[in-house]
Amino acid sequence: MAGLELLSDQGYRLDGRKASELRKVQARMSVFAQADGSAYLEQGNTKALAVVYGPHEVRGSRSKSLHDRAVINCQYSMATFSTAERKRRPHGDRKSSEMSLHLKQTFEAAVLTELYPRSQIDIYVKILQADGGNYSACVNAATLALVDAGIPMRDYVCACTAGFVEDTPLADLCHAEESGGGTSLALALLPRSGNIALLQMDARLHQDHLDTLIEAAMTACKGLSEVLDGVVRQHLEEVSVLTRD
Amino acid sequence: MAAGFKTAEPLEYHRSFLKENCRPDGRELGEFRPTTLNISSIATADGSALVKIGNTTVICGIKAELTTPPNDAPNKGYIVPNVDLPPLCSSRFRPGPPGEQAQAASQFIADVIESSHLINTEELCIEKAKLCWVLYCDIMCLDYDGNLLDACVVVLLAALKNAQLPQVTINKETDLAEVDIQKKRPLKINRHPVGSSFAVFDDSIIIVDPTAEEESLSTALLTVVTDEDDRLCAIHKPGGTSLSGEKLQHCINRAITRNKEISKLVDKVIKSMKTAK
Repeated sequence: MAGLELLSDQGYRLDGRKASELRKVQARMSVFAQADGSAYLEQGNTKALAVVYGPHEVRGSRSKSLHDRAVINCQYSMATFSTAERKRRPHGDRKSSEMSLHLKQTFEAAVLTELYPRSQIDIYVKILQADGGNYSACVNAATLALVDAGIPMRDYVCACTAGFVEDTPLADLCHAEESGGGTSLALALLPRSGNIALLQMDARLHQDHLDTLIEAAMTACKGLSEVLDGVVRQHLEEVSVLTRD
Repeated sequence: MAAGFKTAEPLEYHRSFLKENCRPDGRELGEFRPTTLNISSIATADGSALVKIGNTTVICGIKAELTTPPNDAPNKGYIVPNVDLPPLCSSRFRPGPPGEQAQAASQFIADVIESSHLINTEELCIEKAKLCWVLYCDIMCLDYDGNLLDACVVVLLAALKNAQLPQVTINKETDLAEVDIQKKRPLKINRHPVGSSFAVFDDSIIIVDPTAEEESLSTALLTVVTDEDDRLCAIHKPGGTSLSGEKLQHCINRAITRNKEISKLVDKVIKSMKTAK
């Protein structure tokens, strides 16, 4: 398919990045007063908001509560103005439900739910501007929001996408690269142990390339975990300065 | 000790402050919370704005699409506001279809747009009976701490002032629309409506810009929308205890002052955007 060249001869991608370069990540914690924990994260042009309420009593049906651990309830939605074409159904459609389920499963692996039996933790994620890597931005923002809410976790959960073009793995795909028809893999990782929380790939890929692709995604996630750690430490410093005075 | 009193007897707690003519967060009875405005934050939207009144955070994104004009008004376009109160803005909202408050707020904004003649819908028409713009104004609350309607009106105004629509011409031969993304022009805003919300306590004390707590303890709520010529656009008093005529007049006067403050803020932000470019 001629047209957009995902990787030029000099090794530059569509937005001028190198193959293994991540997009610029900016994040802030504690952005909202009402929520127990909140975070805002920008990964390149993708903007995601995550809000955590909990742990609190199980709302709705009593039967949903688990006797030995907390229930994690995730809702993923995109703002109607987040995509180039106005999104008619921001939540409730199949894609959003699938994403919500993936987020729930990812965080069930990381949050120490055994500490809060018969309670519920709500994670709401909203995409304000979508430019590829929606799931990854949500996971990263939700990790920060959970840390902000003080909910104990085994490790940070960092997510990143990776693609494959002409035998070179690309890290952190933007929307044009994702929809270009090439391979794209989403990975959610617990960086310190190197354990994979979620891995999803829907494309045709030769078996031999899988290892390099996963390797590229893991390196990207580890890089991201350092950025997130930096954000958390900076936030703590700011808050401790305020409370000291 | 104060925290315990606040949880056990919230109304008495607030009354003790109102007796001294102030409020728990230190404001005067007629004082608004600090308002900040940020525009053009969302690149995928044709126009966007974010407003913070105290802790209440509301974002608006404008998306423009092309469609055929309505049959009964073939020279007019559409402007469709929608207010969304997602569960992330407060634990009082549950996931699911839009609740009463969101629907009532959407209708209120639609009424304000119409009654204030904010935009001339004739300008949204490109070719009579064939092609017109439909402006979807999606207002989303991100953090709910009272005074939603004021924030929605301001954010809508700022987003519309910020919106840029591409030039559309109809090709005479093919009868298809041709959109020129490069040539963008802003919308013509006729009026600048600004709202002010009030809450009535104990049938007598009126406070301006209630927080979520104050709203829940109040006996009546009132919103007044005025435009820059000191004309009334809308008064919204959904039930609650009765209010005397002179108190209402007092509220209207306060709303007129507020209009000037907000208009200055919006103009300042728009101008700083232009100079930054």
